[in-house]
Amino acid sequence: MDKKSVVNESEQIQLAMQMIKLGARLQLLESQTTLSRERLIKLYKELKGVSPPKGMLPFSTDWFLTWQPNIHSSIFYNIYKFMVDYADVKGIHAIIKAYSLYLQQVEQDTDAEPVLSMTRAWTLVRFVESKMLKLQACSCCGGNFIVNSYDLNTNYVCNLCHVPSRAGKTKKAKELTYKLVSLSA
Amino acid sequence: MNENELMSEIKDANLNYLMLAQQLIRADKATAIFRLGISKDIADLLEGLSNLQLVKLSSTNMMLARFRFDDSSILGMLTNYTKDRSQAHVHTAILMAGQTAEAMA
Repeated sequence: MDKKSVVNESEQIQLAMQMIKLGARLQLLESQTTLSRERLIKLYKELKGVSPPKGMLPFSTDWFLTWQPNIHSSIFYNIYKFMVDYADVKGIHAIIKAYSLYLQQVEQDTDAEPVLSMTRAWTLVRFVESKMLKLQACSCCGGNFIVNSYDLNTNYVCNLCHVPSRAGKTKKAKELTYKLVSLSA
Repeated sequence: MNENELMSEIKDANLNYLMLAQQLIRADKATAIFRLGISKDIADLLEGLSNLQLVKLSSTNMMLARFRFDDSSILGMLTNYTKDRSQAHVHTAILMAGQTAEAMA
């Protein structure tokens, strides 16, 4: 690959812009494009108006196994897997497409942050590739969900067929039901 | 509604479906393949159809698009969600995405 090619460079910038718009962190941009760190920081500032966040990326697999994140990461990974298996796209392009589809699936208020961020989605794909996490079919509904590879997963029942007692009952959800009730009353 | 009207409704639905599918594929093939649940071969074929071919294909008395949930127990479970509407939504999304694409024999 000729790194000095102008066409190639503009493609890389387009790719980086797409990822920044979806909320990617700098580490993800650095690993998926051939652009230099300085250029990426400049691009990030231009698009977002602020400096990219500093610090390490989240690196724990546990996050993907808690209730709501698990459901969201399962949606994303199912879409990603479908893309790779049937739509003939791969790598970062498949992640970007699957992530945009995921955002449309979990439609919510535009100002609220999505449960699964672009960077976490990429981390999830890497975790599954390195066999730390895997997909397991639920014995009740047959849907595929993200589980830890080293857990005992025979007769696995997913988080939606067997909802933990206090799951999803946040302050925000309560406010939302109040709103709905007052609207319908 | 008499029989003739029903038949023309089906033809309408067929044509609508084909035109929508073609639009989706031309806009973004990979995304369209996911949304329609079809294989890449079928997507390529649909993309290249002319308007005349679309009309010909749609003028049949049978529906061209098939229902994607062929498991009655899953369908029952999804439609009988009583507690939380949003949970039913995400559950459907996971099950739909987990299905295989309709492929050509």
